[in-house]
Amino acid sequence: MLCEKCKIREANIKYTEVINGVKNEHNLCSQCAKEMDFGHYSAIFDGEFPLGKILSTLLGVEGSSHKEDKLQQIVCPVCKTSYQEFVENSRFGCPDCYSVFDLLIGDKMKKLQGSSAHTGKKPKFQKIAAIPKTVGGSQAEPELSRDEKLEVLKARLQEAVLKEEYEMAAQYRDQIKGLNREEEQDA
Amino acid sequence: MHKWFEQTENRRPNVVNSRIRLVRNWDQYRFPKTLAPMESEELVKRLEFGLRNLKELDGRDYEYAYLEELDELSRRTLRERRILNSSILEKKETVGLIVSRDESVSIVLNGDDHIRMQFLSSSLSLGELWRMADQTDDYVNARFSYAFDEKYGYLTSFPTNTGTGLRASVTLHLPTLSMGKKFQSLIGDMSRFGVSLRGVYGEGSENYGALYEVVNQKTLGSTEQEIIDLVNQAAGQLNSQEQQVREKALKNHRLEREDEAYKSYGVLKYARRLSGKDAMIFLSQMMAGADDNILRFREPCSIYRLMLGIQTANLQKLSHKPLSKEELDVARAAYIRKELPELV
Repeated sequence: MLCEKCKIREANIKYTEVINGVKNEHNLCSQCAKEMDFGHYSAIFDGEFPLGKILSTLLGVEGSSHKEDKLQQIVCPVCKTSYQEFVENSRFGCPDCYSVFDLLIGDKMKKLQGSSAHTGKKPKFQKIAAIPKTVGGSQAEPELSRDEKLEVLKARLQEAVLKEEYEMAAQYRDQIKGLNREEEQDA
Repeated sequence: MHKWFEQTENRRPNVVNSRIRLVRNWDQYRFPKTLAPMESEELVKRLEFGLRNLKELDGRDYEYAYLEELDELSRRTLRERRILNSSILEKKETVGLIVSRDESVSIVLNGDDHIRMQFLSSSLSLGELWRMADQTDDYVNARFSYAFDEKYGYLTSFPTNTGTGLRASVTLHLPTLSMGKKFQSLIGDMSRFGVSLRGVYGEGSENYGALYEVVNQKTLGSTEQEIIDLVNQAAGQLNSQEQQVREKALKNHRLEREDEAYKSYGVLKYARRLSGKDAMIFLSQMMAGADDNILRFREPCSIYRLMLGIQTANLQKLSHKPLSKEELDVARAAYIRKELPELV
């Protein structure tokens, strides 16, 4: 069947609208459908990757109240991604977006993931966070400093003991001893 | 050095591969999408430098590369072997690659997320792969602290990966089950349990080769072990159903099954031209014949390896030039003739 609007391309979208109980069917091609106004479903016809857009309609606006309109304007201060952009691309700009948009995304994450609370693994070595970034040169060295190494080794030692891997634990213990000895010598 | 997909040991009938993919981000940078080119480069260099001794972790040999150094064809072969995904293929900014010699472990730096780790094996071994992934994850984490939130777990670019950042999948060969009338509704049923079943080389009846991937849909709210158990169970279920229908077919239609297996072998062994579609169909039939012990090869043969080998970019890479459609069909037939062992 040809598209009823342009009568050139094959119709591949069937649009049924019910207004005051009167049902109307339209057969359109995707180009013509794109030009028509289907409210927020229009997003489906934009771009070439409709799946992502379907996701964004799920994440996005449904009958937004005035209050929510204001929330739409929220912009992440770190990466400048606005909530609107997040909804359109279904994509966060940086880790901080999560806390910035927290109030807005809670329900939506639940809809998408069936849950909004992580119960799985947690990172083991978060304390040794800030590896200094060298100024100037692009080749920064994530070489661990002695203190950082100690931290990591201690964490590994603890882990090895928990897992009852005593051979590994002994190795870590010796490495920690070695590092401590070095420190004493340096001092 | 054998690639993981060339392994023929510990193979279970109908199981083509298991795969674990883990996504992580370093808390010192914004997600790749919002990084300036300079920052991308800096990020990749720092990550690569921190992971330059990955060998000390598992004794594997790793190769380090930047995506921009690779030509179009090499990238596409990596895509065919699933080391790269299509969204990374198009990226203009710096992307780092760390791939083990046997290609079973690969890490993509600054793709959709800062760190995408992937672990592949040719057997049904999600548990074992997860242990490796877990270890590698800790190794990386000891050097780069992760973007993590108590509530949302590991923070990722896409909300569909948030939480564990884990995708566990098993690829199965389901030639008989997928022909049944109920297969479509089976796909629907799977999604109610939280796993999806998708055709590896296309959807529905277009999925030549009958390879299907079972993968978890959700990443948030379940533990890693729960996700792995779920995928394992679903894959096990599907496989045993496939086996049941196959055994039945073998019992009631032995001659037809044997005929199909030997015919497919004959065509693959002697054809001079093979389209991608035909090759996949015959390879699938031959795989079923081999798994059902109808066909016995003189040397071990990974038929999945042949399926990967006959993909367009790989054939072009082997012949060191772009090929027309005609030439491709000839090259494909020649490749299979050469690689296919004799029967016992």
